[in-house]
Amino acid sequence: MAATPLVEVGALFAAVAVGGAVATRVGQSVIPFYVLAGVLVGPDVLGRVGAPHVAPGDVITVLAELGIVFLLFFLGLEFSIDRLLASRDRITAAGTIDLVINFPVGVAVGLVLGWSAVEALFLGGIVYISSSAVITKSLIDLGWIANDESDPMLGTLVFEDLVIAVYLTVMSAAVLGGGDSSAVAVDLAVATGFLLALFAVARYGTGLVERLVDGDTQELQLLRAVALTVLVGGIALEIGVSEAVAAFFVGMAVGSTEHSDDVEHLLMPVRDLFAAVFFFWIGLETNLAAMAATAGIVAVLVVLTTPTKLVSGYLGGRRYGLDGRRSFRVGAGMVTRGEFSLVIATLAASGATPILRETIPSLAVGYVLVMSVLGTTLMTYSDVVWRRIGGA
Amino acid sequence: MAVYESDLPGVGKKFEVDLDDESRLVVVIHNTGKRELFIRPDPDADSEKLFELSDKLARQVGTIMEGAYFQPIKTDDIETVLSEESLIEWVKVPAESPVAGETLEDAGIREETGASVVAIQRDGETITNPGPDTTLMPEDTLVAVGSREEHDELESFVAGE
Repeated sequence: MAATPLVEVGALFAAVAVGGAVATRVGQSVIPFYVLAGVLVGPDVLGRVGAPHVAPGDVITVLAELGIVFLLFFLGLEFSIDRLLASRDRITAAGTIDLVINFPVGVAVGLVLGWSAVEALFLGGIVYISSSAVITKSLIDLGWIANDESDPMLGTLVFEDLVIAVYLTVMSAAVLGGGDSSAVAVDLAVATGFLLALFAVARYGTGLVERLVDGDTQELQLLRAVALTVLVGGIALEIGVSEAVAAFFVGMAVGSTEHSDDVEHLLMPVRDLFAAVFFFWIGLETNLAAMAATAGIVAVLVVLTTPTKLVSGYLGGRRYGLDGRRSFRVGAGMVTRGEFSLVIATLAASGATPILRETIPSLAVGYVLVMSVLGTTLMTYSDVVWRRIGGA
Repeated sequence: MAVYESDLPGVGKKFEVDLDDESRLVVVIHNTGKRELFIRPDPDADSEKLFELSDKLARQVGTIMEGAYFQPIKTDDIETVLSEESLIEWVKVPAESPVAGETLEDAGIREETGASVVAIQRDGETITNPGPDTTLMPEDTLVAVGSREEHDELESFVAGE
Protein backbone atom coordinates (compact mmCIF):
# COMPACT_ATOMS: atom_id res chain seq x y z
CA MET A 1 0.00 0.00 0.00
CA ALA A 2 1.45 3.34 -1.01
CA ALA A 3 0.48 5.62 1.82
CA THR A 4 0.57 9.38 1.49
CA PRO A 5 3.21 11.11 3.63
CA LEU A 6 0.46 12.62 5.76
CA VAL A 7 -0.87 9.20 6.70
CA GLU A 8 2.64 8.02 7.50
CA VAL A 9 3.34 11.01 9.72
CA GLY A 10 -0.02 10.49 11.41
CA ALA A 11 0.79 6.83 11.99
CA LEU A 12 4.18 7.88 13.35
CA PHE A 13 2.68 10.13 15.97
CA ALA A 14 0.02 7.59 16.85
CA ALA A 15 2.77 5.02 17.42
CA VAL A 16 4.91 7.29 19.63
CA ALA A 17 1.82 8.39 21.55
CA VAL A 18 1.01 4.75 22.31
CA GLY A 19 4.67 4.07 23.13
CA GLY A 20 4.75 7.01 25.51
CA ALA A 21 1.53 5.88 27.20
CA VAL A 22 2.95 2.38 27.72
CA ALA A 23 6.21 3.80 29.09
CA THR A 24 4.36 5.91 31.63
CA ARG A 25 2.19 2.97 32.62
CA VAL A 26 5.20 0.76 33.40
CA GLY A 27 7.15 3.60 35.01
CA GLN A 28 9.93 3.76 32.46
CA SER A 29 11.42 6.58 30.45
CA VAL A 30 9.74 7.29 27.13
CA ILE A 31 12.86 7.25 24.94
CA PRO A 32 13.29 3.45 24.60
CA PHE A 33 9.57 3.13 23.96
CA TYR A 34 9.64 5.69 21.16
CA VAL A 35 12.51 3.73 19.61
CA LEU A 36 10.61 0.45 20.01
CA ALA A 37 7.53 2.04 18.45
CA GLY A 38 9.67 2.86 15.42
CA VAL A 39 10.98 -0.69 15.23
CA LEU A 40 7.49 -2.17 15.53
CA VAL A 41 5.67 -0.10 12.90
CA GLY A 42 8.68 -0.07 10.58
CA PRO A 43 9.54 -2.31 7.64
CA ASP A 44 11.33 -4.86 9.80
CA VAL A 45 8.31 -5.95 11.87
CA LEU A 46 4.97 -4.78 10.46
CA GLY A 47 6.49 -4.62 6.98
CA ARG A 48 7.80 -8.15 7.20
CA VAL A 49 4.38 -9.60 7.94
CA GLY A 50 2.94 -7.70 5.00
CA ALA A 51 0.89 -5.25 7.06
CA PRO A 52 0.70 -1.53 6.27
CA HIS A 53 3.76 0.06 7.81
CA VAL A 54 5.70 3.29 7.98
CA ALA A 55 8.54 3.31 5.48
CA PRO A 56 11.72 5.27 6.10
CA GLY A 57 11.70 8.26 3.78
CA ASP A 58 12.78 11.83 3.27
CA VAL A 59 9.89 13.38 5.17
CA ILE A 60 10.49 11.50 8.39
CA THR A 61 14.25 11.90 8.06
CA VAL A 62 13.93 15.69 7.87
CA LEU A 63 11.57 15.73 10.86
CA ALA A 64 14.07 13.58 12.77
CA GLU A 65 16.90 15.96 11.89
CA LEU A 66 14.81 18.76 13.33
CA GLY A 67 14.64 16.63 16.47
CA ILE A 68 18.46 16.51 16.70
CA VAL A 69 18.67 20.26 16.07
CA PHE A 70 16.17 21.13 18.79
CA LEU A 71 17.61 18.66 21.30
CA LEU A 72 21.00 20.30 20.97
CA PHE A 73 19.49 23.80 20.79
CA PHE A 74 18.01 23.22 24.23
CA LEU A 75 21.28 21.83 25.50
CA GLY A 76 22.87 25.14 24.51
CA LEU A 77 19.98 27.20 25.80
CA GLU A 78 20.25 25.70 29.26
CA PHE A 79 24.00 25.57 29.20
CA SER A 80 25.51 28.47 31.04
CA ILE A 81 29.21 29.22 31.07
CA ASP A 82 28.64 31.37 34.13
CA ARG A 83 27.10 28.42 35.92
CA LEU A 84 30.00 26.23 34.93
CA LEU A 85 32.45 28.84 36.19
CA ALA A 86 30.51 29.48 39.39
CA SER A 87 31.18 26.01 40.76
CA ARG A 88 33.96 25.03 38.38
CA ASP A 89 36.06 23.23 40.94
CA ARG A 90 33.48 20.66 41.89
CA ILE A 91 31.90 20.37 38.45
CA THR A 92 35.29 20.00 36.81
CA ALA A 93 36.41 17.41 39.36
CA ALA A 94 33.27 15.30 39.04
CA GLY A 95 33.12 15.82 35.27
CA THR A 96 36.74 14.85 34.74
CA ILE A 97 36.34 11.69 36.82
CA ASP A 98 33.29 10.83 34.71
CA LEU A 99 35.21 11.45 31.48
CA VAL A 100 38.43 9.58 32.27
CA ILE A 101 36.65 6.55 33.71
CA ASN A 102 33.93 6.07 31.11
CA PHE A 103 35.22 7.32 27.78
CA PRO A 104 38.32 5.05 27.56
CA VAL A 105 36.23 1.93 28.23
CA GLY A 106 34.32 2.35 24.97
CA VAL A 107 37.46 3.19 23.04
CA ALA A 108 39.23 0.15 24.48
CA VAL A 109 36.36 -2.18 23.56
CA GLY A 110 36.43 -0.80 20.01
CA LEU A 111 40.17 -1.29 19.69
CA VAL A 112 39.97 -4.84 21.11
CA LEU A 113 37.37 -5.58 18.43
CA GLY A 114 39.97 -4.54 15.89
CA TRP A 115 38.25 -1.30 14.87
CA SER A 116 40.00 1.79 13.57
CA ALA A 117 40.75 4.70 15.90
CA VAL A 118 37.81 6.78 14.59
CA GLU A 119 35.40 3.87 15.01
CA ALA A 120 36.66 3.21 18.53
CA LEU A 121 36.32 6.91 19.40
CA PHE A 122 32.67 6.77 18.38
CA LEU A 123 32.11 3.87 20.76
CA GLY A 124 33.87 5.88 23.47
CA GLY A 125 31.45 8.77 22.99
CA ILE A 126 28.38 6.54 22.95
CA VAL A 127 29.20 4.87 26.27
CA TYR A 128 30.47 8.09 27.84
CA ILE A 129 27.50 10.39 27.51
CA SER A 130 24.66 9.99 30.01
CA SER A 131 21.13 10.95 29.08
CA SER A 132 20.26 14.46 30.26
CA ALA A 133 16.62 14.03 29.27
CA VAL A 134 15.97 10.75 31.07
CA ILE A 135 18.07 11.54 34.14
CA THR A 136 16.52 14.97 34.66
CA LYS A 137 13.04 13.52 34.24
CA SER A 138 13.80 10.74 36.74
CA LEU A 139 15.24 13.25 39.23
CA ILE A 140 11.94 15.10 39.17
CA ASP A 141 9.81 11.93 39.27
CA LEU A 142 11.69 10.49 42.25
CA GLY A 143 11.82 13.81 44.09
CA TRP A 144 15.63 13.66 44.23
CA ILE A 145 15.63 17.08 42.62
CA ALA A 146 15.20 18.56 46.10
CA ASN A 147 18.07 16.49 47.53
CA ASP A 148 21.79 17.14 47.53
CA GLU A 149 22.52 14.39 45.00
CA SER A 150 20.92 16.43 42.24
CA ASP A 151 23.81 18.91 42.29
CA PRO A 152 26.63 16.57 41.21
CA MET A 153 24.33 14.85 38.71
CA LEU A 154 23.22 18.03 36.98
CA GLY A 155 26.73 19.48 37.26
CA THR A 156 28.25 16.44 35.60
CA LEU A 157 25.62 16.57 32.87
CA VAL A 158 26.58 20.19 32.16
CA PHE A 159 30.22 19.14 31.91
CA GLU A 160 29.29 16.30 29.55
CA ASP A 161 27.33 18.75 27.39
CA LEU A 162 30.42 20.85 26.88
CA VAL A 163 32.58 17.81 26.12
CA ILE A 164 30.03 16.50 23.64
CA ALA A 165 29.91 19.82 21.76
CA VAL A 166 33.68 19.67 21.24
CA TYR A 167 33.55 15.94 20.55
CA LEU A 168 30.85 16.23 17.89
CA THR A 169 32.84 18.98 16.18
CA VAL A 170 35.91 16.82 15.91
CA MET A 171 34.08 13.63 14.99
CA SER A 172 31.90 15.27 12.35
CA ALA A 173 35.00 16.67 10.69
CA ALA A 174 36.40 13.15 10.76
CA VAL A 175 33.40 11.50 9.04
CA LEU A 176 31.65 14.24 7.07
CA GLY A 177 34.91 15.23 5.38
CA GLY A 178 36.98 13.21 2.97
CA GLY A 179 39.07 10.18 3.73
CA ASP A 180 42.72 11.16 4.02
CA SER A 181 44.17 13.02 6.97
CA SER A 182 44.97 16.27 5.12
CA ALA A 183 41.30 16.56 4.04
CA VAL A 184 40.29 15.94 7.62
CA ALA A 185 42.61 18.72 8.73
CA VAL A 186 41.06 21.16 6.23
CA ASP A 187 37.54 20.15 7.23
CA LEU A 188 38.44 20.49 10.86
CA ALA A 189 39.79 23.98 10.16
CA VAL A 190 36.60 24.99 8.31
CA ALA A 191 34.44 23.51 11.04
CA THR A 192 36.48 25.19 13.74
CA GLY A 193 36.31 28.54 11.93
CA PHE A 194 32.54 28.31 11.52
CA LEU A 195 32.05 27.31 15.13
CA LEU A 196 34.41 29.98 16.41
CA ALA A 197 32.35 32.52 14.49
CA LEU A 198 29.18 31.10 16.05
CA PHE A 199 30.81 31.12 19.45
CA ALA A 200 31.87 34.74 19.02
CA VAL A 201 28.31 35.68 18.16
CA ALA A 202 27.04 33.68 21.14
CA ARG A 203 29.48 35.37 23.50
CA TYR A 204 29.71 38.92 22.20
CA GLY A 205 26.84 39.39 19.76
CA THR A 206 24.03 39.26 22.30
CA GLY A 207 22.54 42.48 20.92
CA LEU A 208 22.36 41.07 17.42
CA VAL A 209 20.82 37.78 18.52
CA GLU A 210 18.45 39.74 20.72
CA ARG A 211 17.10 41.61 17.68
CA LEU A 212 16.95 38.44 15.61
CA VAL A 213 14.65 36.60 18.01
CA ASP A 214 12.69 39.65 19.17
CA GLY A 215 9.25 39.13 17.65
CA ASP A 216 6.33 41.38 18.48
CA THR A 217 4.02 38.49 19.16
CA GLN A 218 4.58 34.97 20.46
CA GLU A 219 3.89 33.69 16.98
CA LEU A 220 6.58 35.84 15.39
CA GLN A 221 9.04 35.04 18.15
CA LEU A 222 8.45 31.31 17.68
CA LEU A 223 8.96 31.61 13.94
CA ARG A 224 12.11 33.68 14.32
CA ALA A 225 13.67 31.30 16.83
CA VAL A 226 12.85 28.24 14.72
CA ALA A 227 14.10 29.95 11.56
CA LEU A 228 17.37 30.99 13.16
CA THR A 229 18.04 27.57 14.68
CA VAL A 230 17.14 25.47 11.68
CA LEU A 231 18.80 27.76 9.16
CA VAL A 232 22.11 27.89 11.02
CA GLY A 233 21.94 24.12 11.55
CA GLY A 234 21.25 23.59 7.86
CA ILE A 235 24.05 25.88 6.72
CA ALA A 236 26.41 24.08 9.09
CA LEU A 237 25.50 20.75 7.52
CA GLU A 238 25.98 22.23 4.02
CA ILE A 239 29.58 23.12 4.78
CA GLY A 240 30.31 19.86 6.56
CA VAL A 241 29.85 20.91 10.16
CA SER A 242 27.63 18.98 12.56
CA GLU A 243 24.17 20.60 12.61
CA ALA A 244 23.92 19.47 16.21
CA VAL A 245 26.91 21.50 17.35
CA ALA A 246 25.74 24.53 15.38
CA ALA A 247 22.35 24.28 17.08
CA PHE A 248 24.12 24.01 20.44
CA PHE A 249 25.82 27.36 19.83
CA VAL A 250 22.63 28.99 18.60
CA GLY A 251 21.00 27.81 21.81
CA MET A 252 23.84 29.28 23.83
CA ALA A 253 23.52 32.59 21.98
CA VAL A 254 19.76 32.79 22.54
CA GLY A 255 20.26 31.70 26.15
CA SER A 256 22.27 34.82 26.91
CA THR A 257 19.57 37.17 25.61
CA GLU A 258 16.67 38.39 27.67
CA HIS A 259 14.31 36.35 25.49
CA SER A 260 15.81 33.14 26.85
CA ASP A 261 12.83 32.21 29.01
CA ASP A 262 10.22 33.11 26.39
CA VAL A 263 11.99 31.11 23.71
CA GLU A 264 12.37 28.19 26.08
CA HIS A 265 8.63 28.13 26.78
CA LEU A 266 7.73 28.52 23.13
CA LEU A 267 10.13 25.90 21.80
CA MET A 268 9.78 23.22 24.46
CA PRO A 269 6.74 21.64 22.78
CA VAL A 270 8.53 21.92 19.42
CA ARG A 271 11.51 20.06 20.81
CA ASP A 272 9.36 17.37 22.41
CA LEU A 273 7.50 16.87 19.15
CA PHE A 274 10.55 16.49 16.91
CA ALA A 275 12.68 14.67 19.48
CA ALA A 276 9.95 12.01 19.59
CA VAL A 277 10.19 11.75 15.81
CA PHE A 278 13.97 11.42 16.09
CA PHE A 279 13.74 8.46 18.47
CA PHE A 280 11.02 6.90 16.34
CA TRP A 281 13.16 7.37 13.24
CA ILE A 282 16.06 5.65 15.00
CA GLY A 283 13.80 2.65 15.54
CA LEU A 284 12.53 2.83 11.98
CA GLU A 285 16.07 2.73 10.60
CA THR A 286 17.07 -0.12 12.86
CA ASN A 287 17.79 -3.37 11.14
CA LEU A 288 16.81 -6.12 13.56
CA ALA A 289 19.22 -8.62 12.04
CA ALA A 290 22.10 -6.17 12.42
CA MET A 291 20.96 -5.42 15.94
CA ALA A 292 20.91 -9.11 16.81
CA ALA A 293 24.39 -9.46 15.32
CA THR A 294 25.70 -6.82 17.75
CA ALA A 295 24.02 -8.33 20.82
CA GLY A 296 27.33 -9.77 22.03
CA ILE A 297 29.09 -6.40 21.94
CA VAL A 298 26.10 -4.75 23.62
CA ALA A 299 26.21 -7.35 26.40
CA VAL A 300 29.93 -6.70 26.95
CA LEU A 301 29.34 -2.94 26.98
CA VAL A 302 26.47 -3.23 29.45
CA VAL A 303 28.56 -5.35 31.79
CA LEU A 304 31.56 -3.01 31.56
CA THR A 305 29.95 0.42 31.45
CA THR A 306 27.31 0.04 34.14
CA PRO A 307 29.93 -0.34 36.90
CA THR A 308 32.10 2.43 35.44
CA LYS A 309 29.27 4.97 35.72
CA LEU A 310 28.45 3.67 39.21
CA VAL A 311 32.07 4.21 40.24
CA SER A 312 32.55 7.58 38.53
CA GLY A 313 29.24 8.85 39.86
CA TYR A 314 30.07 7.62 43.35
CA LEU A 315 33.46 9.36 43.28
CA GLY A 316 31.86 12.50 41.86
CA GLY A 317 29.28 12.50 44.66
CA ARG A 318 32.07 12.12 47.19
CA ARG A 319 33.80 15.18 45.70
CA TYR A 320 30.58 17.08 46.40
CA GLY A 321 30.85 16.00 50.02
CA LEU A 322 27.92 13.58 49.93
CA ASP A 323 27.69 10.47 52.08
CA GLY A 324 28.00 6.97 50.64
CA ARG A 325 24.33 6.33 50.05
CA ARG A 326 23.78 9.58 48.17
CA SER A 327 27.00 9.17 46.21
CA PHE A 328 25.82 5.74 45.12
CA ARG A 329 22.59 7.36 43.96
CA VAL A 330 24.62 9.73 41.80
CA GLY A 331 26.29 6.72 40.20
CA ALA A 332 23.00 4.87 39.71
CA GLY A 333 21.50 7.97 38.16
CA MET A 334 24.29 8.47 35.66
CA VAL A 335 23.99 4.92 34.25
CA THR A 336 21.21 5.92 31.85
CA ARG A 337 22.37 6.55 28.29
CA GLY A 338 19.94 7.97 25.80
CA GLU A 339 19.47 10.71 23.26
CA PHE A 340 23.05 11.84 22.80
CA SER A 341 24.39 8.34 22.33
CA LEU A 342 21.86 8.06 19.50
CA VAL A 343 22.87 11.45 18.08
CA ILE A 344 26.49 10.25 18.04
CA ALA A 345 25.41 7.00 16.37
CA THR A 346 23.52 9.00 13.73
CA LEU A 347 26.69 10.90 12.99
CA ALA A 348 28.65 7.66 12.77
CA ALA A 349 26.10 6.34 10.27
CA SER A 350 27.17 9.02 7.80
CA GLY A 351 30.67 7.53 7.78
CA ALA A 352 32.24 5.39 5.09
CA THR A 353 33.11 2.06 6.70
CA PRO A 354 30.61 -0.78 7.32
CA ILE A 355 31.32 -0.56 11.05
CA LEU A 356 30.37 3.14 11.08
CA ARG A 357 27.36 2.69 8.79
CA GLU A 358 25.87 -0.50 10.21
CA THR A 359 27.49 -1.89 13.33
CA ILE A 360 27.72 1.25 15.47
CA PRO A 361 24.16 2.51 14.85
CA SER A 362 22.70 -0.96 15.45
CA LEU A 363 24.63 -1.56 18.63
CA ALA A 364 23.88 1.97 19.86
CA VAL A 365 20.15 1.29 19.61
CA GLY A 366 20.45 -1.96 21.55
CA TYR A 367 22.78 -0.35 24.08
CA VAL A 368 20.50 2.65 24.67
CA LEU A 369 17.43 0.40 25.01
CA VAL A 370 19.15 -1.65 27.70
CA MET A 371 20.88 1.23 29.50
CA SER A 372 17.86 3.53 29.64
CA VAL A 373 15.68 0.83 31.17
CA LEU A 374 18.49 -0.43 33.42
CA GLY A 375 19.40 3.11 34.54
CA THR A 376 15.85 4.11 35.36
CA THR A 377 15.34 0.89 37.30
CA LEU A 378 18.64 1.27 39.16
CA MET A 379 17.61 4.73 40.27
CA THR A 380 14.33 3.45 41.65
CA TYR A 381 16.05 0.68 43.62
CA SER A 382 19.33 2.44 44.41
CA ASP A 383 18.85 2.33 48.17
CA VAL A 384 18.05 -1.39 48.06
CA VAL A 385 21.12 -2.09 45.92
CA TRP A 386 23.25 0.10 48.17
CA ARG A 387 22.24 -1.90 51.26
CA ARG A 388 22.70 -5.18 49.37
CA ILE A 389 26.30 -4.36 48.49
CA GLY A 390 26.92 -3.62 52.15
CA GLY A 391 26.78 0.15 52.20
CA ALA A 392 26.07 1.90 55.45
CA MET B 1 17.15 32.73 58.48
CA ALA B 2 19.28 31.45 55.64
CA VAL B 3 18.02 30.90 52.11
CA TYR B 4 20.19 28.82 49.78
CA GLU B 5 19.70 29.22 46.07
CA SER B 6 21.04 26.85 43.45
CA ASP B 7 20.64 26.36 39.73
CA LEU B 8 19.13 23.19 38.35
CA PRO B 9 20.30 23.10 34.73
CA GLY B 10 17.45 22.09 32.47
CA VAL B 11 14.97 22.18 35.33
CA GLY B 12 14.93 25.58 36.99
CA LYS B 13 16.02 26.82 40.38
CA LYS B 14 16.06 25.41 43.89
CA PHE B 15 15.63 27.42 47.07
CA GLU B 16 16.26 25.93 50.49
CA VAL B 17 15.03 27.68 53.61
CA ASP B 18 16.18 26.73 57.09
CA LEU B 19 13.22 26.36 59.39
CA ASP B 20 13.37 26.87 63.13
CA ASP B 21 14.07 23.26 63.93
CA GLU B 22 16.47 20.97 62.07
CA SER B 23 14.23 20.81 59.03
CA ARG B 24 14.49 22.58 55.75
CA LEU B 25 11.87 23.75 53.30
CA VAL B 26 12.87 23.13 49.69
CA VAL B 27 11.16 25.01 46.87
CA VAL B 28 11.86 23.89 43.32
CA ILE B 29 10.76 26.38 40.67
CA HIS B 30 10.60 24.71 37.29
CA ASN B 31 11.29 26.58 34.08
CA THR B 32 7.75 25.64 33.11
CA GLY B 33 6.49 27.73 36.04
CA LYS B 34 5.52 24.76 38.18
CA ARG B 35 6.48 25.04 41.87
CA GLU B 36 7.21 21.98 43.95
CA LEU B 37 7.49 22.15 47.73
CA PHE B 38 9.43 19.62 49.75
CA ILE B 39 10.31 19.28 53.39
CA ARG B 40 13.53 17.70 54.60
CA PRO B 41 13.10 16.72 58.25
CA ASP B 42 16.84 16.57 58.94
CA PRO B 43 20.04 16.93 56.88
CA ASP B 44 20.41 13.19 56.28
CA ALA B 45 16.81 12.53 55.35
CA ASP B 46 15.33 12.49 51.89
CA SER B 47 13.14 15.36 50.85
CA GLU B 48 9.44 14.57 51.10
CA LYS B 49 7.23 16.22 48.57
CA LEU B 50 4.49 18.29 50.14
CA PHE B 51 2.62 19.55 47.09
CA GLU B 52 3.00 21.24 43.77
CA LEU B 53 1.38 24.35 42.37
CA SER B 54 0.98 25.84 38.93
CA ASP B 55 2.65 29.17 38.21
CA LYS B 56 -0.60 31.10 38.62
CA LEU B 57 -1.68 29.31 41.76
CA ALA B 58 1.77 29.71 43.31
CA ARG B 59 1.62 33.47 42.79
CA GLN B 60 -1.80 33.65 44.41
CA VAL B 61 -0.73 31.55 47.37
CA GLY B 62 2.47 33.62 47.59
CA THR B 63 0.49 36.84 47.80
CA ILE B 64 -1.66 35.40 50.55
CA MET B 65 1.45 34.26 52.44
CA GLU B 66 2.96 37.70 52.02
CA GLY B 67 -0.03 39.18 53.78
CA ALA B 68 -1.27 41.33 50.93
CA TYR B 69 -4.86 40.36 51.62
CA PHE B 70 -4.75 40.11 55.38
CA GLN B 71 -2.11 41.35 57.77
CA PRO B 72 -2.34 39.63 61.15
CA ILE B 73 0.19 42.05 62.64
CA LYS B 74 -0.96 45.65 62.95
CA THR B 75 0.26 47.58 59.96
CA ASP B 76 -1.32 49.65 57.25
CA ASP B 77 0.77 48.74 54.26
CA ILE B 78 2.86 46.08 52.70
CA GLU B 79 6.16 46.20 54.46
CA THR B 80 9.25 44.19 55.02
CA VAL B 81 10.72 44.19 58.47
CA LEU B 82 14.50 44.46 58.52
CA SER B 83 14.91 44.71 62.27
CA GLU B 84 12.95 45.86 65.28
CA GLU B 85 13.26 49.51 64.35
CA SER B 86 13.61 49.58 60.59
CA LEU B 87 11.45 48.36 57.78
CA ILE B 88 10.96 48.82 54.08
CA GLU B 89 7.70 50.30 52.83
CA TRP B 90 6.29 51.15 49.43
CA VAL B 91 4.69 54.58 49.17
CA LYS B 92 2.81 55.86 46.16
CA VAL B 93 3.27 59.48 45.05
CA PRO B 94 -0.26 60.83 44.39
CA ALA B 95 -0.85 62.80 41.17
CA GLU B 96 -1.46 66.03 43.10
CA SER B 97 1.46 65.49 45.48
CA PRO B 98 3.48 68.62 46.31
CA VAL B 99 6.74 66.71 45.80
CA ALA B 100 5.84 65.58 42.27
CA GLY B 101 8.12 67.36 39.84
CA GLU B 102 10.73 68.13 42.48
CA THR B 103 14.09 66.44 42.79
CA LEU B 104 14.78 64.29 45.82
CA GLU B 105 17.12 66.99 47.10
CA ASP B 106 14.60 69.82 46.71
CA ALA B 107 11.81 67.78 48.22
CA GLY B 108 14.03 67.14 51.23
CA ILE B 109 12.32 63.88 52.10
CA ARG B 110 15.02 62.59 54.42
CA GLU B 111 15.32 65.91 56.26
CA GLU B 112 11.56 66.24 56.67
CA THR B 113 10.62 62.67 57.50
CA GLY B 114 13.76 60.75 58.44
CA ALA B 115 12.97 57.98 55.92
CA SER B 116 15.43 57.26 53.09
CA VAL B 117 14.26 56.54 49.56
CA VAL B 118 16.34 53.59 48.33
CA ALA B 119 14.53 52.94 45.05
CA ILE B 120 11.81 54.37 42.84
CA GLN B 121 9.45 52.18 40.84
CA ARG B 122 8.19 53.90 37.72
CA ASP B 123 6.23 52.34 34.81
CA GLY B 124 7.32 48.83 35.72
CA GLU B 125 10.99 49.84 35.97
CA THR B 126 13.00 50.25 39.12
CA ILE B 127 15.50 53.05 39.68
CA THR B 128 17.80 51.80 42.40
CA ASN B 129 19.81 54.17 44.59
CA PRO B 130 18.25 57.35 43.15
CA GLY B 131 20.60 60.32 43.43
CA PRO B 132 19.66 63.72 44.93
CA ASP B 133 19.02 65.05 41.39
CA THR B 134 16.41 62.36 40.61
CA THR B 135 13.07 64.00 39.83
CA LEU B 136 9.97 62.54 41.45
CA MET B 137 7.04 61.96 39.14
CA PRO B 138 3.33 61.55 39.87
CA GLU B 139 2.39 57.86 40.22
CA ASP B 140 5.94 56.90 41.28
CA THR B 141 6.23 54.30 43.99
CA LEU B 142 8.92 55.14 46.51
CA VAL B 143 10.69 52.29 48.24
CA ALA B 144 11.87 53.69 51.55
CA VAL B 145 13.72 52.49 54.64
CA GLY B 146 12.95 53.89 58.05
CA SER B 147 11.21 53.37 61.35
CA ARG B 148 7.45 53.02 61.61
CA GLU B 149 7.08 56.67 62.69
CA GLU B 150 9.30 57.87 59.85
CA HIS B 151 7.16 55.96 57.37
CA ASP B 152 4.02 57.58 58.77
CA GLU B 153 5.71 60.97 58.33
CA LEU B 154 6.72 60.08 54.79
CA GLU B 155 3.23 59.02 53.82
CA SER B 156 1.59 62.25 54.98
CA PHE B 157 4.46 64.33 53.58
CA VAL B 158 4.13 62.84 50.11
CA ALA B 159 0.36 63.20 50.26
CA GLY B 160 0.83 66.87 51.14
CA GLU B 161 -0.95 66.64 54.46
